[in-house]
Amino acid sequence: MRTEHDSFDILDQALNAAGTAEADAVFISTDQNISRFANSNVHQNMSEISAELSLRVIVDNAMGVASTTVFDGAEIERTAALAREAARHADPLPNFSGLYRANEPLPSVRTFDEATANIAPAEKARALRTMFDRGVASGVHFAGVYGTGASSVAVANTHGVRRYCTLTASDATVIAIGANGSGYATAVDRSNVDVTALGEEAAFKAALRADVIEDIAPGAYDVILEPPATAEVLEWMGMIAFSGSAYEDGSSFFVGNIGNQILGANFTLTDDALDDAFLPFPFDIEGLPKRRVAIIERGIVRTPVVDKAYADRLGFAPTANGWSLGGSDHGSALHLSIEGGDATREELIRSTKHGIWITRFNYVNGLLEPRTALMTGTTRDGTFLIRDGEVVARLPNLRWTQSIVEAFSRIEGLTRERRRVGTWYNHFGGTIAPVMKIAGWNFTGKQQTAGMAQSSLEG
Amino acid sequence: MKPTRAQLEDVLASLDGSGLRYADVRWTATHEQHVRVRNGEVETLASTIDRAIGVRVLVGNGWGFAANSDTSEESLRKTAKRALEVAAASNIASTQRVTLSDIEPYVATWSSTYEIDPWSIPLEKKIEHLLQSTEPMRGDARIHQVSGDISCYRQEKIFASTVGSFIEQTTTEMGGGVEAVAIEGDEFQRRTYPNPFGGDYQAAGWEFIEQLNLPGKALEIRDEALALLTAPKAPSGRFDLIVGSAQLALQVHESCGHPTELDRAMGLEISLAGGSFLQPSMLGNFRYGSDLVNIVGDATIPGSIGSFGFDDDGVPAQRFHLIEKGMFVGYLTGRDTAPTIGRTSNGTVRAETAARIPIIRMTNINLEPGTTPLADIIADTKRGIFVETNKSWSIDDLRLNFQFGCEVAWEIENGRLGRLLRNPLYTGTTPDFWRSCDAVADRASWRIWGLPNCGKGDPMQTMRVAHGAPAARFRDVEMG
Repeated sequence: MRTEHDSFDILDQALNAAGTAEADAVFISTDQNISRFANSNVHQNMSEISAELSLRVIVDNAMGVASTTVFDGAEIERTAALAREAARHADPLPNFSGLYRANEPLPSVRTFDEATANIAPAEKARALRTMFDRGVASGVHFAGVYGTGASSVAVANTHGVRRYCTLTASDATVIAIGANGSGYATAVDRSNVDVTALGEEAAFKAALRADVIEDIAPGAYDVILEPPATAEVLEWMGMIAFSGSAYEDGSSFFVGNIGNQILGANFTLTDDALDDAFLPFPFDIEGLPKRRVAIIERGIVRTPVVDKAYADRLGFAPTANGWSLGGSDHGSALHLSIEGGDATREELIRSTKHGIWITRFNYVNGLLEPRTALMTGTTRDGTFLIRDGEVVARLPNLRWTQSIVEAFSRIEGLTRERRRVGTWYNHFGGTIAPVMKIAGWNFTGKQQTAGMAQSSLEG
Repeated sequence: MKPTRAQLEDVLASLDGSGLRYADVRWTATHEQHVRVRNGEVETLASTIDRAIGVRVLVGNGWGFAANSDTSEESLRKTAKRALEVAAASNIASTQRVTLSDIEPYVATWSSTYEIDPWSIPLEKKIEHLLQSTEPMRGDARIHQVSGDISCYRQEKIFASTVGSFIEQTTTEMGGGVEAVAIEGDEFQRRTYPNPFGGDYQAAGWEFIEQLNLPGKALEIRDEALALLTAPKAPSGRFDLIVGSAQLALQVHESCGHPTELDRAMGLEISLAGGSFLQPSMLGNFRYGSDLVNIVGDATIPGSIGSFGFDDDGVPAQRFHLIEKGMFVGYLTGRDTAPTIGRTSNGTVRAETAARIPIIRMTNINLEPGTTPLADIIADTKRGIFVETNKSWSIDDLRLNFQFGCEVAWEIENGRLGRLLRNPLYTGTTPDFWRSCDAVADRASWRIWGLPNCGKGDPMQTMRVAHGAPAARFRDVEMG
């Protein structure tokens, strides 16, 4: 992690080397430690220090981008020359009003935890060893990942915008594997997460109804979705529906529906990097101050999320969602926040006559029919049958194929409590979601292991 | 800065003692250039150069890995020391013995080949080629978007290990493709050539882009995208299915490549991508597919992006069967996993860059061609569906239950291709599907497809792999 002084020194060199009236640059430096474990054994353990400079230059309203991991004068000059050459060959951006220049004040948010930044690999290993040892007593073994890291993010442009922020992140995913089933727990925070507590949560799920295995026929069932399941669906929604490029290429169901209520009135989704209880961050990498953006408000489609170029191009108000210079998404919602309701998980389960409680999804794909957000995926690590308001049995992993536009029109309840979920590609934020009850989720198949040697996973 | 052999060997020597059992050090410089045009505009012109060093050590039974984007000599020494600290931490929570399969020391240099250096082609020419390919697709109001991509990739890699190996490798690749998006009302159809997500990729130079003939194929996919808008929806039910080469390549990837990764079978990747239904006890006695199904791992094929000289354990590239006459006979392995099944590494451990831990990755995982011409297979099909070009993919955590969507399908009636069909989906269970294979087309329909975006590991590593596949027929497959 680099200091503010060092970061701006590199950015100033880059902007000077750009040699154009308009340019911006981002310098991100990260120190991270990641431990992977399986069969209650640490099998991969890494420590990485990395830094990258990205430079974007504007020539006659056309943009070119180059990046490097070497920061001496000659390399920065070479990077600038590559960016200029690219810009000279690019086309002017339609309606582009230039790089961000308003230089508004940033929101004050808590992004850094000193203790998390300095946690030693040995300390994390001891926590994992404690979890492994407890697993022996409860008859499970563990697999997963436990990461901590600290980053500095610096942004500058030729209009005098200069932003710098340090952030920490800790995340862990734990799967507990027992004789008849597996369970899952995950957490992400700006402070160090309690991996042993996650181990206990996952072990509880692995043991739940492990002695009662039932089957279920394909069809539509009410589902209780835990936040990790919802988060995976929202990751795809981010790509196929919320981004500026999805709106522009016509694949998003937002096209023609801005201002229309097409989802349930109890569904509100924001991009919220300001909530200290979530994973806050004060600016996007174009330097715009983060703000709370209503993407879907009480079921009404409000706006895609866009970078500066696509805000100008599409005529939307800026949403401060530029997370890559020159990237093709033209807006990513990295802080997805679903508004909670007033129920508890237990109430949602008790209200379900015949349904399925889902811990998480596996390998969701949202490209089937993007205009209805038709997706498919399977369940894993804890799929349970609910009968007459009780969790009565464990189910095999199930395949589902479901329009998410339709599903989010049939939300029957949301919990007050919400949980943060991280994902591998998002180092700035994640998803925060309540547990959701949705009517009529369409299941189309199941994982069939009959006749094969059983793996260590449930089946 | 590119390190010298002496510098790397000095770093390895500095690690000696303290119970060190093994160490390696890697350096990579990865150059990428991406050009994308869209609706007549140059949308993306981006260049990246990523340099990294990585040091991996095994002390006792604890692995330690440290990496840095600062590749200076001082950074190398600090990174090596950090790897020892990480290994010491691992030993606190390492509960299983690590055994490495034997390996010879190699001092070698390897490079992929090309005729025309991708970086020797000026940007103007790349842009012009894409505009010439995509502009003719515009004009119909229902064509909402046309786009084209050209990508250049080069990775220089140096590997040195305490075994005594010193290996330098350079891989140069190019990829390209075009797509057309047609919209009418609520119907959205995307058609790509030769494959989605930037097209097809080979370890080659500009000559590969010329061979693709993007300008010559563009109007064909535009017309198909338009026709798909009003085509009937592909039916639900059970049909005999002929899967085209491009789609079958992805089927091989998902339902054979991943489940034959030994680290997945051992549970080492469960936390992110899952495990495998193919367990070691099934080696040699499990019928994976019909007698016609022969699937090999082959990292030695010239011109393919799944090829290399040595893997990141320093093991030479190899060719071996995973599935032989339908029987499951092999895994993809590395030095630390192969001993668990009583074998030696078959050289499939790779990392995206030196900043990542090497893990088992697919190489070129190929379905071997059969003997029947594709036309004869179609003629022999009374009632079926022909599907081609992947659109969506999903498979469960054991790689058993899958569902694939394709960009395009055609009805087959009485041995003839008939109506175009939109939005085909097919689903099944891996062994049932491959056991139902009753015809594998001959080499005329066989082709290697480069997939530069295979995700695995945590942190996620994107690996460049490839799959050779012909078309093949599968009986009684569930669609819809």
